[in-house]
Amino acid sequence: MLLSAKNDWLANIRGDILAGIVVALALVPEAIAFSIIAGVDPKVGLYASFAIAVIIAITGGRAGMISAATAATALLMVTLVKDYGLQYLLVATILAGVLQILAGYLNLHKFMSFVSKSVMTGFLNALAILIFMAQLPELINVTWHVYALTTMGLGIIYLFPYVPKIGQLLPSPLVNIIVLTLIVYYMGIDVRTIGDMGELPDTLPVFLWPDVPLNFETLSIIFPYSISIAIVGLLESLMTANVIDELTDTESDKKRECKGQGIANIGSGLIGGMAGCAMIGQSIINVKSGGRGRLSTMTAGVLLLILVVFLSDILSIVPMAALVAVMIMVSIGTFNWTSIKELKTNPKSASSVMIATVIVVVWTHNLAFGVFTGILIGALFMAQRLSQFMYVESYYDEDGDTRSYNVVGQIFFNSSDKFISFFDFKEAVEKVVIDVHRAHFWDITAVAALDKVVIKLRREGADVIIIGLNEASETLLDKFAVHDKPEQIEKIMGGH
Amino acid sequence: MTVSQQGVILAGIDGSDLGDAVVEHAIWISQNTQLPVTFLHTIEHSHHSEHPHHEGNLTPNIKEHLLDELSEEDHQKSKQLIAEGKVILEQAKLKAEQAGLKNSIAKQRHGTLPEALVDLENEVLMVVLGAKGEDHNGDNKGLGSQLEESIRAIHKPVFIIKQAFSEPKKLMLAYNGSPTSRKALDMIKQGTFCNQSLEIHVVSVQKNLDDAQALITDVSDVLAGSNIKVTAKAIAGEAINELTQYQQQNDIDVTAMGAFSHGQLHGFFFGSFTTRMLLESTTNFLLIR
Repeated sequence: MLLSAKNDWLANIRGDILAGIVVALALVPEAIAFSIIAGVDPKVGLYASFAIAVIIAITGGRAGMISAATAATALLMVTLVKDYGLQYLLVATILAGVLQILAGYLNLHKFMSFVSKSVMTGFLNALAILIFMAQLPELINVTWHVYALTTMGLGIIYLFPYVPKIGQLLPSPLVNIIVLTLIVYYMGIDVRTIGDMGELPDTLPVFLWPDVPLNFETLSIIFPYSISIAIVGLLESLMTANVIDELTDTESDKKRECKGQGIANIGSGLIGGMAGCAMIGQSIINVKSGGRGRLSTMTAGVLLLILVVFLSDILSIVPMAALVAVMIMVSIGTFNWTSIKELKTNPKSASSVMIATVIVVVWTHNLAFGVFTGILIGALFMAQRLSQFMYVESYYDEDGDTRSYNVVGQIFFNSSDKFISFFDFKEAVEKVVIDVHRAHFWDITAVAALDKVVIKLRREGADVIIIGLNEASETLLDKFAVHDKPEQIEKIMGGH
Repeated sequence: MTVSQQGVILAGIDGSDLGDAVVEHAIWISQNTQLPVTFLHTIEHSHHSEHPHHEGNLTPNIKEHLLDELSEEDHQKSKQLIAEGKVILEQAKLKAEQAGLKNSIAKQRHGTLPEALVDLENEVLMVVLGAKGEDHNGDNKGLGSQLEESIRAIHKPVFIIKQAFSEPKKLMLAYNGSPTSRKALDMIKQGTFCNQSLEIHVVSVQKNLDDAQALITDVSDVLAGSNIKVTAKAIAGEAINELTQYQQQNDIDVTAMGAFSHGQLHGFFFGSFTTRMLLESTTNFLLIR
């Protein structure tokens, strides 16, 4: 344990510090942009990003992942800030942290297995769209200068890396900020700057308990926000952890990540910062820049604070156009472009889950609602498909005037009507044999369907015999668990 | 040596200075126990990219591109490490063959040595490891960074190599009455370490001589009735000093002792007795878990 802790911190010192610097430079504009989305002063997002990055470096379960103020969580705070003000946001942030710690202890990270690839793609595409949409206020009803600057910024971001030598030395989003700021400053162009957006930090953050009455009314105001923030924060953090696991071919501790996110948010709320979570774009930038260990996240957080506290005067003259260019880049990088191409080739069910997730998120501005919708639709499709794994053979034995039904496959709420439809109730026979030993009854709907069939047949005057009910209803018990038991799985796959 | 249970002697090897000594000791143990030897080489992935990009921007489908790039880099690196390991393993197998061992096996696994040991623990009866890996080549003092973790990872005897191979003649058991040293004593009683040429010393060091003597009496009681003959000695004093002194005065080649009976946290704060013994002795070690 101690050894692996040492490895997490010190195995890649040079790579981590360099990557941390790259990340810190990109974190500054993002933190400011997300503050603007939430409707708070830039310093709220900057303090948050510092606190979250530094704390998660220690408490997180995924080394090398970057967490800070994010768009996903900022979007959830808008109405809270507008209606009740910053202090309520701070206490909601702390409560979200508490809920996340609780989620960690309750092992809720295991529910991530319900989030399919289609839902995850939908989540990221929706996030990209929302980040882009959040830039629109800066691009509507402005002079042509803003469009020119933004276009130029994007040009620098994507083309500067191709400049020989220095292209690989300086992060291009930073070059974009420096160049646009110099142009605006020396040419005296009158466009909005970061300084116009609210207060920047000029001191180190201080520990403060939010100034709100601690009563039930406060709780009832903040709780809906806190639970949304907690869920969305964990969703994005765990998804990002999966992405980093995949990129670096290593494992993360998801339970520790949940608790770590909680502690980070509590820390953020206590120094006047907003809630945040893991950032998918920044985490990828970190890995791309060679960051693998906890030191990269720590470096990013500490450097971010140093940068903003000492450079707040310079920061305030950075044109918003430069920031918008960075955020459009984040949006483009977050969107899964191949998913558009795959709409044609992927199964329709997968595409509709992805699109439904996107639509619900963009509509509600709450990524959690989109994810739940995606999971639900995905589950319905899955139930629909499983229903196909059922058929009933029947044959008639003239000697005994007996009709035999041989049921094979999975019978549950969605396939029980289909199950009933296989029986011919109009046929007048002496005896009916229903052999269910190769069938599986998964729920009480399935059992009720069988009862219904038996009663109907008896009413038509047949004597009904059921064979193999014990085997078929084994799956009914909640404690029925097939995991790690190949022979049980074999039974279900191949019939008894 | 005779060992009743079935299993293999697992020798963890890499390109370190001690690699040859590990192979030769493993062969010697295999010859004496009639147990097959398995040579193990682990391929450790750092997953640190050699070519990081610092342009700091997010391009379309960056995740997919980055994954392709990093996995290609890892693929090449892994292939190279596997090839290097294969050479080391071939040499070890050749040595074993020359020594008359026909049934030695070579294994390569991804991951760290402790991980591999945990995975293979069930088929293993004894592990042979160098005190230092190839990362410490040229470094005369000190222990390998993974040694403690490797020893702690499994509950099988671990033979730690600090010296070039010469056939072990004298084994010293450092006996303090702890459950693990008791286990070592039982192994002696069962004849696990005995071949005709191995002379066994049991040394007990306590703060006062009476305690030490009492432990030696225990040893005699345990061994009474067996035909194992040992030289037993009780010493008063500080354990590490006295034991290392005894090693030198009596030309001990192998020190047997219980290892890491305390947790890692205890070791972190108080320093581990096992680690200090390993550092301050020049003999090879047989650690019992």
